[in-house]
Amino acid sequence: MKTTFRTRLGSLLGAACLVLSSLAGAEPLKIGYSDWPGWVAWEVGVEKQWFKEAGVDVEFEWFDYVASMDAFAAGQLQGVGMTNGDALVTGATGARSVMVLVNDYSDGNDMVIGGPGIAGVKDLKGKKIGVEIGFVSHLLLLDALKNNGMTEADVELVNVPTNETPQVLSSGQVDAIVAWQPNSGMALKLVPGSKAIYTSADQPGLIYDVLAVSPESLAANREDWMKVLKVWYRIVAYINDPKTRGDAVKIMASRVGVPPEEYEAFIAGTKILTLEEALPHMKKGDGFKSMYGSTQIADDFNVANKVYEKPQPVDAYIDPSLMNAL
Amino acid sequence: MTRMQQFELPSYLEQSDAVRDRFARLRQRPVVLEVKGLNKDFETSHGPVTALRDISFVTHKREFVCVIGPSGCGKSTLIRILAGLETPTSGQLLLDGRAVHGPGPDRGMVFQSYTLFPWLTVKKNVMFGLERAGRGRLAAEEEAMQWIELVGLSKFARSYPHQLSGGMKQRVAIARALANQPRILLMDEPFGALDAQTRAKMQSYLMEIWKNIDITVLFITHDLDEAIYLADRILVLKAHPGEVQELIEVPVPQPRSPEQLLSPEFLATRKRLEELIHPPQDDAALSEDHLNMVRMVAVDDEVESVF
Amino acid sequence: MTQTLQWFAPRRQLAPRPRLVLGIMSFVLPLLIWSLVSYVPWIWHPLVEVTEPGSVSYFKAGQRVERELFAAETAKALEAGAPQPQGTPANPVYLPAPHEVLQAFYLAFTAEPERRNEKWLHESLADSIYVIFWGFVISSIIGLPLGILCGTYDVFSRLAEPFVEFFRYLPAPAFGALAVAILGIYQAPKIAIIVIGTLFQQILVISNTTRKLDPALLEAAQTLGARRLSLLFRVVVPGIITDVYKDMRILLGWAWTYLIVAELIGTSSGITWFITQQARYKNFDNVFAAIMIIGIIGLSTDLLLAWLGRRIFPWQRAEARA
Repeated sequence: MKTTFRTRLGSLLGAACLVLSSLAGAEPLKIGYSDWPGWVAWEVGVEKQWFKEAGVDVEFEWFDYVASMDAFAAGQLQGVGMTNGDALVTGATGARSVMVLVNDYSDGNDMVIGGPGIAGVKDLKGKKIGVEIGFVSHLLLLDALKNNGMTEADVELVNVPTNETPQVLSSGQVDAIVAWQPNSGMALKLVPGSKAIYTSADQPGLIYDVLAVSPESLAANREDWMKVLKVWYRIVAYINDPKTRGDAVKIMASRVGVPPEEYEAFIAGTKILTLEEALPHMKKGDGFKSMYGSTQIADDFNVANKVYEKPQPVDAYIDPSLMNAL
Repeated sequence: MTRMQQFELPSYLEQSDAVRDRFARLRQRPVVLEVKGLNKDFETSHGPVTALRDISFVTHKREFVCVIGPSGCGKSTLIRILAGLETPTSGQLLLDGRAVHGPGPDRGMVFQSYTLFPWLTVKKNVMFGLERAGRGRLAAEEEAMQWIELVGLSKFARSYPHQLSGGMKQRVAIARALANQPRILLMDEPFGALDAQTRAKMQSYLMEIWKNIDITVLFITHDLDEAIYLADRILVLKAHPGEVQELIEVPVPQPRSPEQLLSPEFLATRKRLEELIHPPQDDAALSEDHLNMVRMVAVDDEVESVF
Repeated sequence: MTQTLQWFAPRRQLAPRPRLVLGIMSFVLPLLIWSLVSYVPWIWHPLVEVTEPGSVSYFKAGQRVERELFAAETAKALEAGAPQPQGTPANPVYLPAPHEVLQAFYLAFTAEPERRNEKWLHESLADSIYVIFWGFVISSIIGLPLGILCGTYDVFSRLAEPFVEFFRYLPAPAFGALAVAILGIYQAPKIAIIVIGTLFQQILVISNTTRKLDPALLEAAQTLGARRLSLLFRVVVPGIITDVYKDMRILLGWAWTYLIVAELIGTSSGITWFITQQARYKNFDNVFAAIMIIGIIGLSTDLLLAWLGRRIFPWQRAEARA
């Protein structure tokens, strides 16, 4: 889901090597995807061979999230699953992309988790919170504090890598953590009496997960990308249909290697959007309801936290025309 | 030592007619190796050190010369220069009248440490030099087997060095050096690592080989008996810096046998070597050699005195 | 008694039988400890696995809670007269029992892939071995000759080694993004990481081994008429080859340690990625099973190479036995 320094380094190196990558028409579109339910869903289309049926030559490559952005930045991929915030980071450091599809928004998977004795966000005042600073969970925390009339100054932040947050919470060194799945679920399992006091479900649209494609490829292969989007909505329909949902979950769970019943919980925290649900979010507007607004907030956050120096031209990163044309 | 001096020994310079006659003929033989004004300085952290100063001598064809001297006399440096493994600071080295530089198969060398190639069988070890000289495989093999037979190791031709005893290893090393048919065989304390019994046997082997083939030997040792027993002439060096002290013609008649070890000529030569190598020491040097011991045995120990 | 005392004589080799028994014990003992900790409820087991939450609101069946907490909640429920929670002693989730790992191990090889493009475990393994193999081969093609040259000739040593000394401190993973940019997203960048991780150590190790060759052997060869190239190929190379072979066995082990980094670069594949992924979802039985597979592959490769070495280098047999 999120970015690191390595991403930026990779983007820089990648920009230097972009010349090497060929965009020849005969090559299949390569799309990188990673372990987030909204992107794992692509696996259904791969497994069912719907891309072939749609007559589009794509290869989905399974990555670690950060590695997938590295590969995109290096020009090895024409499309990649990212969050809208990370699309800005990748763009600011070299590899510009265009977000042509919104897969989902986080609907509870990202959580602020209070340890025993923390019943709500208001209880956090003056407490220690383990969070990966500068990452999207940091953004979620700021939002939680703001909605409860507090600021960062009212709490003490402890920089903790997200995958270590469950252990840190259970050790009692912090009073609360911010994490996303599967770490958030692990923390709840690991620390008795802990509970989610604020989640991305409280602020839908804080984080959008998107398909970002390279502008060159979009210009050259617009028709192919349209076909990819068509297959995506076939996948969404398959997941949402109660008759086929079981099969879809089974395919997705097997992609990440966990039992389907366990994976169902991760999907539940992700609002995978149908075209009708997604289109309103593609309209310009302020606030989290709009992709534009959400991305603008992410841009402000990134600049404020010195993830990159200059504000990004947010509008240029979003191209709703493909979705509108469906 | 003092015991020996009680006997009336002849001078080591006294030679029987046969011996004198032999040395006269030996001097008539062609010179194989000539060393002229050899110097060797080393740079050390304490400044330059002279290891060898103005060494000159000749060896004649089929002569057996031993080099002996106290530690630090540079005898190993000398033989390494002769072998071409080190370069002299100045001086000349002539083999059959021609100057030589660097190592080569015309000067065979047997080292104290067993330098057999552990990855080669006995036969392949002996073939090594022959193959370098461009002999065909079959010819080299045939020739090697002859040399292996000469040192009595035919049965071990297919063995690897680690399967051999120390004495056997040195016999292979000798065969390997001889196979190249060098003009001179340089031996650097070759039996130094062997036990006394094996060493005596090896000395006899070497004498046998020397008698039977055309080879000149320059042999370094620190063992006086070994030097007298083997050598026609003994080059005695002194230390700091290494210089030639005396070139002794051994008065013990040839061919040699172990019985001669107690002959008057042998003992006389030994006495002379003792004087040269272990000169009478002054008191200061003596006190360093003697330990200042305090009795440390319990007073009621069962053994009152070791005598 | 005296016999057991002899067991502790420094550097004395034991008889073949006790050696074999001890060798087996070295595997049995950790397994025994693991089994004891897993199956004997009063050894360790710092947690309680809840089977019946009773009246405790936040307990769920299958949840592991600390023993003290469980006892406190039970006491509270007893006081209130509410249904008490039930549970059994349990270890933390990161220490699965041997049979669970064994089951995971078995299933890993027998469970059919569920998706069309999912790989069998042995195919994932083959991917990993492919990466290791080529990484190690490419590293060796450069590292072996260069190491030997550096160990033999000061010219090469001075020209190459200072840079190699510098480069070997650079962490191989740092080159991940660069490797992807240049070599694409599939196996090539992974192989490159193995090469970067192995090569520079290899050059130094091999050159050091080369320097350990007894210089007297080189001198002996020179007095036997060996010159330049024949010194290198007839003396240096055969003289160090057994030690180099041993080095290579150790270096191959190092190559494996870089695999886990390599497989996080580019597309995710291979056995160590499987481990990373399973650890993320806390499926520690699968994690342990996969670690065991790597251990088994590593050990058996090494034993095979050792056995091969004794066949290839007959002059070493006595040494190898000692």
